[in-house]
This record gives sequence, structure tokens and C-alpha cells, in this order.
Amino acid sequence: MLEAMWLALRSVARSGLRSVLTMLGVLIGVAAVVVVVALGQSARDQIGAQIESLGTNLIYVFNGDAETRSRRNERVGHRLSVSDAEALRHQIAGLRALTVYASRPAQVVSDLETARVDVVGADHDYLKVRGYELRSGRDLSVLDVQTKARVALIGSTAARRLFGDTDPVGRGLRVGQSRFEIVGALAAKGQNPFGSDQDDRIIMPVGTWATHIAPGRGQQVDMIMASAPTAAAVVSLRDDMDRVLLEQHRIPLEGKPDYRLLTQDSFRQNQEEIYRVLSVVLVSVAAISLFVGGVGVTNVMLVSVNERRREIGTRLAVGARPADIRLQFLVEAMTLTSAGGLLGLGLALAGIFALERQLGWVMQLDLTALGLALGTSLCIGFIFGLLPAQRAARLDPILALRHE
Amino acid sequence: MRRPLAPRSKPPLRLLTGERDEAEAPLLELEGVGKDYVSGPEVVHALIDVHLEIPRGQFVAIVGASGSGKSTLMNILGCLDRPSYGAYRLGGIDVGQRSVDERALVRNRLLGFVFQGFNLLPRTTALENVELPLVYRGLPRRKRRRLALEALEQVGLLARVGHRPNELSGGQQQRVAIARALVTRPPLLLADEPTGNLDSKTTLEVMELLERLVETERITLVLVTHEDDIAARAHRVLTVRDGRIEDDSYNAPPPRRPSNTELSEQEA
Repeated sequence: MLEAMWLALRSVARSGLRSVLTMLGVLIGVAAVVVVVALGQSARDQIGAQIESLGTNLIYVFNGDAETRSRRNERVGHRLSVSDAEALRHQIAGLRALTVYASRPAQVVSDLETARVDVVGADHDYLKVRGYELRSGRDLSVLDVQTKARVALIGSTAARRLFGDTDPVGRGLRVGQSRFEIVGALAAKGQNPFGSDQDDRIIMPVGTWATHIAPGRGQQVDMIMASAPTAAAVVSLRDDMDRVLLEQHRIPLEGKPDYRLLTQDSFRQNQEEIYRVLSVVLVSVAAISLFVGGVGVTNVMLVSVNERRREIGTRLAVGARPADIRLQFLVEAMTLTSAGGLLGLGLALAGIFALERQLGWVMQLDLTALGLALGTSLCIGFIFGLLPAQRAARLDPILALRHE
Repeated sequence: MRRPLAPRSKPPLRLLTGERDEAEAPLLELEGVGKDYVSGPEVVHALIDVHLEIPRGQFVAIVGASGSGKSTLMNILGCLDRPSYGAYRLGGIDVGQRSVDERALVRNRLLGFVFQGFNLLPRTTALENVELPLVYRGLPRRKRRRLALEALEQVGLLARVGHRPNELSGGQQQRVAIARALVTRPPLLLADEPTGNLDSKTTLEVMELLERLVETERITLVLVTHEDDIAARAHRVLTVRDGRIEDDSYNAPPPRRPSNTELSEQEA
């Protein structure tokens, strides 16, 4: 067996460029396989964790998009407003918490620095809905919201950018001509599933926001977020909210609403869909390139068998059994493919690091990747080496020896 | 690499080795052996009803025009081909109709081949080439190495063990090939025009080597040639024509006393 591998390695080395080209298919295929598996091991967890970071059992109300608003029978331009949130809050009993959300990036100036951060207008329940933790200071109060107090909470990234390592609580901020006092600092939360930093923001009462940050927006907000007490309650609460909003926006019975209701689960589905598509693409790439590589292996091996008929004849003459010849060529094919597979593993590692960068997913990579790469390529070598090996083993020694 | 072989047909294949003295029985016996090929619509009778006995230690030359059937005869003697009919006994064992694997075993144990084109594996050292039959015998590396070195010493190439075929002259290559044929200590050496690719000086060297093996090792040598002066060196010359052994004659002086049967056959 070792003997056969040694022979194989030599003849692989001998055929140089042709071997490399053949290995390319196997290489890409194995790389794709390894990446798919690495994705599968960790992507779901990652997606789950990021979705959870948005909050728990969330129901979102977005403004309808331009398409729905352009329909003639609808009231064009009606947007979600603070009063929609009030109506929902008063008419639906089962909600755990509810907040409006309006955001606009703005130049924010502290005593030390200036930085462009997202300035969010929200209700006193914003932290509760989104699952932010306070690191120091206090949350926005009902009174802050009612009186449109010039107070703000600050996310950890924004705090670091504007105040460095000092505690921002009690310090002042200026946006345009307006000054705000920071009453609370938030603990870090990290990236959301869409890749943006959830900590690079300041949060203030929506009334304050509408007055000082985005004058002219009036009561309008970007979205309303509600949190259901349990996962089971999400769907029925969503339907309740739908009813209230239809009423609020006076949508006719058969009309299309000018808002969109989404639950956190639909984000999860979206993300899983992305992952699924990626997997399907990679699996297809793997299958196609493994097949192409395999056919290449068959081809190279058939050429090799043909060129080496005399050698095969000699081996048969000195006492090789057909099984020995078959084994020799199978091992050669498998050596060829596993060399490709190991290179493919290298490519996969590179690809995985790239994906980690792009998607922020941490992938699990251990010896199974090596086993997988080797296993896959050995299988391909075996399957696609079988035909040439069989052909070599079936050679008539007399004809093989006669070959010049 | 090679597992012990379980013979498939009923009488188990017991192989005699060269060391045993079996002088009384002929080493090789063909009894009414023929070979028919189907070539398109025709049946070609490549070999017709050949009777032949070759005792141990004899140097037999086979001559004949191309297409005479001498290659077919050699292929059958070499267990590369099966006779269509008749019996082929080697060392008293009928090897003619054995399975593919059993014939591989016979070739490995009882036969050594020397080809016109040397048939050494390229990019492989002389030593490794000589080891090849032992690889298929499944011997451990160290033992292979020792036996191969012995065989190379026997052909006087101990200084060239690490050379590859393209680094050796034709005569040296053929001597490596002879060492490869010898390394298994087979009783029968089959040489198909072994000097066909060599010049006259190296031809002489190779022939002297082969003859020495016949004399000192009591190896039986069957050699196909179309050169008269090579055939003249043999103990016995078989002339093949149209699939039959047309002439079976001894060169004077006969080096070994032929048996009575052989004599009577010859006169018949």
C-alpha cells in the first residue's frame, strides 16, 4: 500500500501541469464543501444571537413603502406618528412595552470631540423594548418624554468617540444650537443582524428629538416597536396592532395598509434564507467542481494508463495480479485528488476568514475540516479513478507489452 | 501489498522452486497444445498441436519467421496466454488453464522474463526495477533490497544500482532486466530477442551472461531469436513454422544427454 502511494506520488509529480489543472476542480470543490460545513456549524447560532440582540419577541411597524402609497385608493403620505403609538399603547393591553423610533444622523459635539452619530428619538420604554442595559446613570423617564426634556442616553461606541474613557453621565452635548444633558450611559450591545453598530447612537425623548433634531417632522416617526411578553403572544398581538392601526389610518376594508407589520421571526427567516441560499450556491459549486474535477481525474488517469501500457505489461509479467494494478492506479487517482483536496482546504480557510470579516460570523474550524477535505477528495479519487484503474487491470499483458 | 493467494481451482497450486532438484522430470511439458484466435470472421490457428519437453538446465532457442507462431508459443510458455487446448505443465503442474491470479503467481514464482526492449520502469533506479517482482511477492523492503543487490551483483552491475534506465547503456539496461528476471530465482528464463536492440559487443556480453546462468545456476533458458549466430549458441533449436514446431534439433555437441523420449521424438 505504501509502495503504491509512493509510486503514485512520483507519477503525479511527473505529470506536472496536467495534474495541477485536474486538481483545480477538486480543489475548488473541496473548498466549497469545507466552507458549507463551517457555515452550517456556526451560522445559525450567529444569526440567532444577532437577532436576539434586537430585543425579545419584537413586533415592528414600519412606514409603508412608496409602492403601496402610490395606489389611488389609499391615503397617500399618512405616516406612523406618535399618536399611533399612543393608540396602540392604550388599546392593547397585553404588550410588554412599546416605543416609537425616529433616527437621524447628526453632528454631535461634546467638550472634547465632535462626531457624527445616530440621534434617536424614542419613548421611555425604548431600552426595555430593545433590551439595552444601563451601565450608569438613569433611563429616560415618563416625565422626560412628556416635558420634552433635553436629556439623552448615550451608547457605548458614541460615548467612547465623544468622551473617551471618561464617564459621560452628567456631561453636556450639543447638536446644532441645542444643548442636551446625558443622563445615562448604555452597556455595549454590538452589531445588529444588518451589520450596523447598535452602540453608536444617542437616544432622547421623541418630542425633544422632533423639536431640536428634526424640526418639521412633527409627530411622524420611522417606526414603532413593541415587545410581546412571550413568544407565543407575538402573533395575536401583531394582529391586534394591525386592527388598531387600520382604524387609526382609516384604511378601507379591502385597502392596502400604508404600514408594514413585521415580527422578529421574519428577520430570522430572512437571515436564514440568506444563509440557505449561500449554502445552496456553495453546495452547487462543490458538486459541479467536484464532478468536473472528477472527470478530469478520470481523463488524466486514462491518458496515464494508455501511456503506461508497457509498464503495466511489465508489471503483469513479473507477477502483478490485476488487483495489484487496479490498486496502484486507484491510489494514484486518490493521491492526485487528496493533493487537490488539501490545497482546497487551504483555499477554504482563506474563504472562511474572508466571510468572517464580511459577515462577522465566527466559524468553527477543527480537525473535521481536514477530515472532510481528505474524505471528500479520497472519495472523488476513488469514484473517478475506478474506471481507469479497471481499464488498467483488464489490460491483456501481451498487448500491453507489445505497446511501444 | 500482496496477500497470500488462495488458489481457486480444485487441485491446489503447489509451486516448485528452483532449488529443488527435479532432474528426472522435464521442467516444462507441452502436450498437444494449440491456440486459435478469432480474427473477424476467420479463426486463426496460431499454434497447432504442439508437443514439447524441455528438461531443466537446457538452453533452447526458438526461431521462425514473424507470424510463424513463435510469439504465441512464448506467450503460452510465459503464462501470459492460455492455450486453447492441450496441457502445459511447468514443474509437473498444469498451469495452462489456471485463473488470472494464479498465472500471475506462476509468473512471479517460476518465470523470469527478458524482453527485447528491456522494459525497465523509467525514472526508477536499477535497484528498484530489480526489486519489482519481489514487491508483488510481498517481501519486506529490507529483504527485497538484499536479494536485488545479490541479483545485480550476479550481472556485474553492483556499481550502477542507483542509476535510472536513461543513465545506463543498452547492455547495462538489459543486464538490469536480467537481474530482475533472476531475482526471484525462477527455474525458467524466457528471453524474447534479448539482444535485438544491442550492438554486437554488448550482444556477446549479454549472451555470455545468460549462458553462464544456464551453466552455473542450472536455469532453463528459452530464447526467441532470428539471428543464426545466437541460435547456434543454444543447446537445442526449435524452428516454428505455420503454428507447428517444424524442426527440433540439437547443436553439436549436445551439452546434456537428452532423454530417450526426446531422442525418439526428434527422429520421428
